[in-house]
This record gives sequence, C-alpha cells and structure tokens, in this order.
Amino acid sequence: MLVTSDLQPELSQSSVRTTMAEGGEEESEVFEITDFTTASEWERFVARIEEVINEWKLANLAPGPPLLKGELSTGEWEDRSEVVTFADVRFGMTLHRLKEKQQVQTPGDMEEEDCQPQAIQDLLAMENDFPPRAHCLCRWFGVRSFVVLAPGGHSDSIQSESKASLLLSSISIAVNNTGCSVPVFVQTQQKWRRMYQGVCEGGGLRTNYDMVHLKRIPPQYDHLAGLLDVFKSKIACPLPALPPVTVSVRFTYILSDWTQSAWTQEPPDFDIPYGGNVGGAEFGKLPFGALEDPVSELHLSTTWPCLSEEMIVDNSVYSDLDPLQAPQWSVRVRMTDNPQCLLGDYLSEFVKICHSLESTDQLLGGLVLDDDDKDPSRDVSAALQRLTEPSPLPLPTISDVVSNMKTRTKFRRKEAPIGGELLNMILQFLFPDAALEGFPRAEKPSTEQGGEKQDTAEYKETYRQYKSSPEGSLVYQLALCMCVVNSNHGGLRAVAHLWQEFVLEMRYRWENNYSIPGLPEGSPDMSACLLLQKLQMLNCCIQRKTAREARMKEAANQQASAAAAVQDKPARGSTSAGSDGWDVEDSDEEFFECETEMEMETEENIASNSDADSAQNNTLPKGKVASNSQPSNDRTNMHKSESAVSFKDTVTSQPEGRLKQCGDLCLLDSSEPLYIPITQEPGPMTEDMLEQHAEVLAKLGTSAEGAHLRARMQSACLLSDMEAFKAANPACKLEDFVRWYSPRDWIEEPLTDETGQRVLKGELSPRMRIPGNMWCEVWDSARPVPARKQKRLFDDTKEAEKVLHFLAALRPAQVALQLTPMLVHAAILRVEEEGETSPPALATMLAQIQARASKVLRAPNMDAQKCEDLMELVRQVTLVETVIARARSLRAKFNTEKARSDDGAQELERFVSSLLEQPEVKVIGAGRGPAGTVIHKLFATAQKAAHSFDDDDHSPSEHRAELDSCPDFPRPAGREYILRTTVPRPCPVSRPCPQRMFCTLIKEDFRLAGAFTSDTTFM
Amino acid sequence: MDDDVLTTLKILIIGESGVGKSSLLLRFTDDTFDPEIAATIGVDFKVKTLTVDGNKAKLAIWDTAGQERFRTLTPSYYRGAQGVILVYDVSSRNSFNRLEQWLSELETFSTKQDIVKMLVGNKIDKDKKEVDRNEGLKFARKHQMLFIEASAKTREGVQCAFEELVEKIIQTPGLWESDSQPKGVSLTDTGSAAVNSCAGYCSLV
Repeated sequence: MLVTSDLQPELSQSSVRTTMAEGGEEESEVFEITDFTTASEWERFVARIEEVINEWKLANLAPGPPLLKGELSTGEWEDRSEVVTFADVRFGMTLHRLKEKQQVQTPGDMEEEDCQPQAIQDLLAMENDFPPRAHCLCRWFGVRSFVVLAPGGHSDSIQSESKASLLLSSISIAVNNTGCSVPVFVQTQQKWRRMYQGVCEGGGLRTNYDMVHLKRIPPQYDHLAGLLDVFKSKIACPLPALPPVTVSVRFTYILSDWTQSAWTQEPPDFDIPYGGNVGGAEFGKLPFGALEDPVSELHLSTTWPCLSEEMIVDNSVYSDLDPLQAPQWSVRVRMTDNPQCLLGDYLSEFVKICHSLESTDQLLGGLVLDDDDKDPSRDVSAALQRLTEPSPLPLPTISDVVSNMKTRTKFRRKEAPIGGELLNMILQFLFPDAALEGFPRAEKPSTEQGGEKQDTAEYKETYRQYKSSPEGSLVYQLALCMCVVNSNHGGLRAVAHLWQEFVLEMRYRWENNYSIPGLPEGSPDMSACLLLQKLQMLNCCIQRKTAREARMKEAANQQASAAAAVQDKPARGSTSAGSDGWDVEDSDEEFFECETEMEMETEENIASNSDADSAQNNTLPKGKVASNSQPSNDRTNMHKSESAVSFKDTVTSQPEGRLKQCGDLCLLDSSEPLYIPITQEPGPMTEDMLEQHAEVLAKLGTSAEGAHLRARMQSACLLSDMEAFKAANPACKLEDFVRWYSPRDWIEEPLTDETGQRVLKGELSPRMRIPGNMWCEVWDSARPVPARKQKRLFDDTKEAEKVLHFLAALRPAQVALQLTPMLVHAAILRVEEEGETSPPALATMLAQIQARASKVLRAPNMDAQKCEDLMELVRQVTLVETVIARARSLRAKFNTEKARSDDGAQELERFVSSLLEQPEVKVIGAGRGPAGTVIHKLFATAQKAAHSFDDDDHSPSEHRAELDSCPDFPRPAGREYILRTTVPRPCPVSRPCPQRMFCTLIKEDFRLAGAFTSDTTFM
Repeated sequence: MDDDVLTTLKILIIGESGVGKSSLLLRFTDDTFDPEIAATIGVDFKVKTLTVDGNKAKLAIWDTAGQERFRTLTPSYYRGAQGVILVYDVSSRNSFNRLEQWLSELETFSTKQDIVKMLVGNKIDKDKKEVDRNEGLKFARKHQMLFIEASAKTREGVQCAFEELVEKIIQTPGLWESDSQPKGVSLTDTGSAAVNSCAGYCSLV
C-alpha cells in the first residue's frame, strides 16, 4: 500500500512543481530533498512509466489529420497494456489508440517545438461530438489516443485525494521527462464512478483534465445557463470580455412504453392440441418467435451540433431546445436480454432429454398393463367408448377404432402422459392412411407425402447434408411431434409414450402387411438418418412379405382349383400334361415357404409323383429320368442336394424362371437361345448392418484362407444366380453362365477352320479355368432352381424382427438423439422460411449454422461432445430467431408496411435494417422525415397514455389542444452539453488555448468533465 | 495397432471385371503377381501400412468385383472411403468406355464429398494397346482425378499410384481428420470481444 508515501504527500507534490518551474539542472537536488524513505519506490515507479511511454513511442508525436465525421466510433481501436507497480501496488497502464488510416509521420519528421499535441487540438474539433460508441474518455474529452493508469486489482481503488495527487504528479513528471504528447489519465475513486484525472503537455501548452461527479443534479446547474457559469468560472478568463462559448447539445429521450404497437407475437399453440379442435397439422410445424417483445427501449437523441451561447436560451424557466426543432436526430434501440424464444426453447428442451438415462419401463412402468391380463372384452368396450365419446373430430370409423384397439389401449387412459384424444390425433397425423376410408390401408404410394418437392436435386441435397430425412417424411414428422410433445405434454415421459405407440404401430403394420406411409421407396437410403433406414428396411420386409403371401395365396387357389379339376376328371391322364406341371410346381411353392418338416413331406410328394410326372411329360428324355431317380432312396444326410436331384428329375428339365433372352446368344452345346433368368434381389441393408458386415469381412484378415472364406461368405448371391440360370437354361454349362455374367471372362478369338472359313473360337479366361476356383466350385454345387423356389437370400421375417427389436430397445433419450437431425433440419428450414425478409447479416449467420449443422449431424459418433455441439447449434438457432424477432418487432413498431408512399416505406425499411445492425442510426430528415414522423407519433402516443387521456376524442381541435397541454416528448432522460471556447490563459498575454467542458445530466448521474488548457511558457 | 499411425484410410478399387484390380492390389500389398488370380466374388479386403512424407497411414483397401451383377451389392462398401482407384485395361477399349458409369455410381454411393479419385490404366505390359495414354489423361483431367498408367505384372507405376493417392488424401483438409473439434469462427464470440471495461459500446444512459 501507499502508506509510506502518504506521509509526505504535500512535500512530493511541491517538489514536483519545483522541478518543473526551475528546470532540469536542479532535478537531482530536488530528489535529494524529497522523502528519503519513499524516494526509491516512487522513483522507480516514475521511471517505469517513462519506460513504457518510450516503449510505446508516444513522445513528440506529430498531429495526424483531422478526424473524419464519426471516425471515433467507426474507426478501429487498438489497445496495449503493461503492468507497472508502485511498491507492491499494481497498476495497469493501457494505451488506447485509434488506428490511423494514413501512414503516420515518424516523430523525427516533426522537430517543431511548439507543435500542439493532437489531444489539445482535438478539443475544439466538432466532428466527433457524441460518438455512438466509444470509450468514455473519448466521449468526454474528444481524445483519439490516450493512456490510462488504473489500479490493477478490482478491489483496489484510489480513494484518497493525496494518493490521487501523488499519481497525478508522477505522470506529470513522466510526461515532462519523456515529452509524451499523448494525454495520460489516472483513474481514481471506485471504478464504477469512472473518475479520471489527467494531463497532456506539449508545444508549450498544458491541458489538465478534471472531473466532477455527483449523484444528484444541483438545481442551479440543471440547465445550460448554470453550466456556462461553471465553465466560465473554471476558465477564470484574464480578459475583460470572454469570447463567446460554442455549445453542442444533445438530449436523449427514452421510449419504453410501446402502447400502440404492443408485441403482437401470437401465443404458441400450447392449448390448441388440448382443445382438440385443430387438426393434427399443428404438429407438423415448429413454433417460432419470441414470447416477449425483444425490443425493450428506443432511445432518441436530438442534437444541436453547434450553437453560440448567445443564440439559445436554456435556463430554469425556459428552454429553446425543442426536440422537434433539433437539426439532428439519431436513434438507438435497446434489445431485451435473452428474450424467450419458442423455437430455441423447444429445441433446447429436446436436446436436453438426449442426456437422460431412464428406460421406457422406468418412465412408463406403472402405466403399462401386462399383455397377459389384457381382457379382450374390456378392449372392445374401450373401443366402443371411444366411438361414443363426444368428439370434435370427424367420427372415426368402426374399423379405424377397432384397428386402433389392438395397438393403443395398453394404458389406463387417465394416467398416460398423452391423453387418448391427443394421441389419436398425433397418430392420425403421422399415419394419415389409417384414417382413410376403405380400411385396407396399405396399397398407397408411400412417397405421396412430401409431394413434388422430392424431385429436385437441391431438395435431396438438403437432407443429405444433415443426414436427416426428407422433409415431410414419416421420420421427419415424428421428430416434430416428439419435439412438441416433449415441450407441451409431459417431457420425457410423453416422448417415451409416443415412441412406444409408434413402435406398436410399426409392429401392427408388419404383422398385418400394411406398408408404412411417408417413406422414400426402395432400399434404405444411407445418406439419410439411421432411423429412416430402419423404417425403410421394415417397409422392404413388409413389401416382400406381402408379395410372398400373395403368391402363396394365388398358388393355393390354383392348387385348389387344379385339385378340383383333377377330381372332376380323373380319367384324363396324359392329356392334361400342362396342368399337371402346374400342379407339381404349386406343391413346390409350398415347400419353398414351409419349414423343414414340411419340406420332407413335400419331397415325398414329389418323389411319389415323379413316376406319374415323367410318364405324362413327353418332352423328357426317359433315360435321364430313370438314371436320376435312383438317389431318392438315400435322403438321410443331405436332403438339400438330394432335393435338387429330385427337382431335376421331375420338373426342371422344363426351363423355368426366364426373364428374357440375352441378346442373340445361344447356348454352346445346343441351338437354344441363352436366357437371362429371373434372379433374387440381394437383401437391402441399413448402414449399421453394412458396417457389421464389413467388419466381419475385414476380420477375416488378409491371408489367402481369409480371402477364400470371404469369397465363400459372399457367394450366396452367385450361387442363387447360377441356380436360376441353370433353371432357365436347362442345357447350359459354366461357359454359358460366364458369357452372361462376366462377359470379359469369355475370350473369343477369330480362327480360320479347316474349311478356310473364319469362325470365332471362344474359351474361358485363364482365371476361370483354374481348377477348383470358387466359380467352378459354386457352379458345380448349383442346382437348377428358379429364383422363386430358392432359399430366400433375404429373410424378411428375421430382418423385420431385428428392426422392430432395434426400435423397441431404444431408450427415450436415444430416440431423441436419433431424431435430432430431423429436428435441426426442420429448425433450419423454419428459420429460413421466417427469415426471408430479414436483414442481410442473417444470411451469413444462417450459412454458418448450416455448415455447422452439417458437420455436427454427419459426425458418426453420438457422444457427449456431440450433445455439446448440438447445444451450441441450438444456441445459434436461438440467436438467429432472436434477430428475426427483433426485426419483426421493429417493423411492426415502425409500421413499415403501412407507410403512405413507396419512398417512405423504403426509407423506413432501410431505417429498420440499420437499427438492427448499427449501434446508432441517424434519422434522415430528423423530426420531419418519415422515420422521424413515426418516432414522434410513438412518443406522443406514449405520452398521452402516460397522462391517461381518453383515446376516443379525436376531433382535430381537441387533439391539438391535447397536444398543447401535454408535450409530445417526455423530459429528456439524459442531457449532454459540450462547451468550448478559446481563451488566453493564464494571463492576458498568453497564447489563446482551447478549453472544453463536457456535461452529462442524467437523473442519478451528474458529471462535468473539463479540459482546461493553459500556456506554460510564461507561467 | 501401431501408435504412430497417423490415420486409417479407406481406399476402394473399382472398375470393369478383368481389368486387373485384384492384381494391382496384390502387387501393392505383397509385391507379387499371379496370372491366375480368381475372379473376385463380392468384395475382398487387404491392409497395408504406408509411409508418405513421414506420415504413416494404415490403408484398408477394399477390392470389388467388377461384374455387373455384383454391382447391386458392392456399392454399399463405397461408404466412408477417402480414396478410390478406378482401373481400366489399356488393352480393352470397352473397359475404358465404361468409366463414366463407374464414376456416376461412385458419385451416388460415396459419402465423403471430396473423395480423392485416381485413374489407373493397367496392363501397359501388353503389346496390344487400345487406349492411348492421352485419352486417359484427358478423362482424368475432365473428372479431376489423378492419373497414372501401370502394370501389375511388371510392377511399373503400382507403388507410385498408391503413394500418390495417399499423399493427396492427407493433403486434403477435412477428409481424414477426426471432426471432433469445431473449427472456424463461432457466432457467439463476435460480440464478446468489445465488452472489456469501457472500451466498447458505452452509451449515455
């Protein structure tokens, strides 16, 4: 602390003065008579300050060019800081400097002694009065570069005057010793009071900066007249008549009561779903907008930039300063801090639940009834009850209710997080096909939702970018519903509930062959989210199952009719060969579908039929049948291959499962054309399956055995194709297959045969001829079986169960996490939609969000970091939402749509957008321009409301009278005055020096900041 | 796994059947040539560690079957690949003509946006040459690919092709780094810089 130095404050002060008055040669002597105990510390302190000043090259700076208008605010500032210590007290020494646009002259160029420092010259410059955005010292003293010495610690402050004086004298010495031409300030008192004292010297002038700060405005200084008195008395002009004082004035008015244009944000549809009178479409949209007015206050500053003191009167009884007459108006708006925004809230609540650990059972445990004690009669009664319930919805059809019954009555309805009514609405929204007339609700193009938009490449790109799912698809809609349900209907429990219902619906659809609506057709789209892939997979399963069952039914029908036909005409025998062929085939169909025990049975059928078949079938060469029918006695160990043999016996010498001819190719060993068979489609895969599969393949390693095993694992498809090929081309061999399947492995060379004719001689490529290669191996084991009779490559039952298990096993938090891509996608679309007319700055913000979203959502891992990233993303979305809400609020307040003329409207629009982007906006035309008119009206209305005038008497005369009795503007919340003059000081023969005083008059803050200059030459 | 491996890269080899994809791979990984290498079924897989410019990269190379019928299956393995080697046979015009289709398939199924593509004209040891080097160059330029002619049989150009590809991948920002750390400017940071003491926006009231 400064205890020791406090002992001799007066002494040190006077000694400094002596130094300056008496000149350099006596300096050492002065130090000798200063306080011995503190000298060294102080000396070091001063020396350190000098060092820093020199380091920053602040000495003998040439003045720069005059500042442009507003440059103090718009220019770029640079700061530099150093720590200096006085004994053990730390001070921060900071240089604030406006970067100059032009190249600065080096100090060496300016040798002139009497050149006035920049800061002193700037005292009179008026271009930068009342900067909208600047350091307070800049505002008060008009300085463009300055050094501040402030106590380092937050608790330290220079409270006592003696300490302040000591510091001030320290900097005086330092400034003098170094020739520093930049003002140096010391911050005193508590930091919040922003009290500064300082000094600037150079060119034979010295400016002292001083300050008065009071909590109340003294009545005698509550106007210009009083302030002029202070100013003049401080100057203590030695001349008989003081030159006129120039005055700049700014009054600031605050508007916080937006009576006329109250915040008009529609409250969100919190209650609507409860009311049940709005269709489910409400779930398809995320809410948007701020709940409170995001614009809290409007500050209007009216400025009189340059007045002579004689021209205006402003005293305790009268003022010329009418805001409407002010030549300059400028406006700034104060925004509400973090207004509550719907979209942001919904999103963040949803992302939050991604962290939770509860399982569905934990959340809904008490509510779920056991499947076992489910009493069908009660279910039906519930269904009836639902039917008879008064409902504002179109009355559901019986079939609808009954179909719902199976899946949706697991909860005791009162305890469920989502009420029955609401749940029905959500489910109908998600599965609109369920509510359609004509109950069999599948058979509807599943891409119908989402509409034409799906075609455009750009549209497709959007969801790929976020790895979400197409807009309007089931998964997308589910995400929206989940989000709404989470925010409005019970949080995580509701999410768990809806998810459970969703999974039940999925199972119901699987079991009853109703395809799932709202999904892109085809195999899982790996550029979309996993959940969509899973559902697409389920849809594939449902479609295959449906097709399979339809085939089976048809076959059964045919079989039945065929059997009837056979019974009707048992005597026809060999003449009905064709229908018999069908007959056998049908029983094969059954064999294909059935499990093993059936398989045995059918085989026996086939075997027993085989004689009759061969007898009836004229096309079969008899010898072949006879030779091949032998192995059927020995069917114990490998009934598969054996069944193949029996196929060969009975059926397949008839070509089967042909798709089309393969060009004009013919089989090598016969003149039969080569047919491409109908083949099995390989099973669709979702990305996680693929990953597992790839992992398994990779795990086999890189050895030859590994490679062989890998090939074998993947040969199922090849085998299936070979079998189908054999079935379609009964007389084929491997060469034929290769010609279709891998044409480049069939090498043809033109040869000239013995008759001199050129013929093409073909052979298998060397790699196909390697003995025992996988292709030959598979070919040899392939039986001629058409695709539809083969073992399924894709087991839809198993895959569907896997998907359903995956869905059911997701914890609600995982569900939420799986759904976030869609939600973020939707939120971004929503913001884009809402932000169409918003300020251009928004475009860059949006682009940033999109880039970030794309990165976060495509990142493969779902860990804590991802949740962080998601939260950050949500914060950014909220920010954009707030900006849009602000723009809206301002537009509504300034009524941009209803402006009388086009020009006015444009003008207002421009004004509003600059309000959003700039700290302070000039009002063009001040009180008479279009914006000024609106602002005037806003204030007047607020005033009227404040004075509780009746709104209904609006006759022009009365209105006028009203206006007269009640001023349109309230008392200014803040008044600022800048007083300036040039006066010779300290004596009449001194050079005229610039003087300036800045006055701030706010309700609880009265500040005078004076910069008084005197000539030091003849002091 | 070695700790000093910078990254693991997934590389694909695609192209018509019989152009020598597996042979190229075998030459690269084992430095051998087997004229009687069986036609690939589905996909095959090999691993090799490669040091390029002091960066050690582990390559997981997926070799695919070229036959039309396998193409319903193999594209699923395109996911996540950082590099792709598209092979044609310089002695087969047809294998060159099909390149466009391979590229469009790649476009459809690859998930990385700036996947590095290399075109390799294989079998330059053969006397019969149906595709001129310039045609390969032209195609590669048109599709922004690396290009090299090579022979798995004589080993010419093989090692070089893989090294070049890996180098390019490592040089491509954002293709292989783990994307956990968000880069770039955060929106919310922009406002906070100005808030120190009094230097920023400081209004009258």
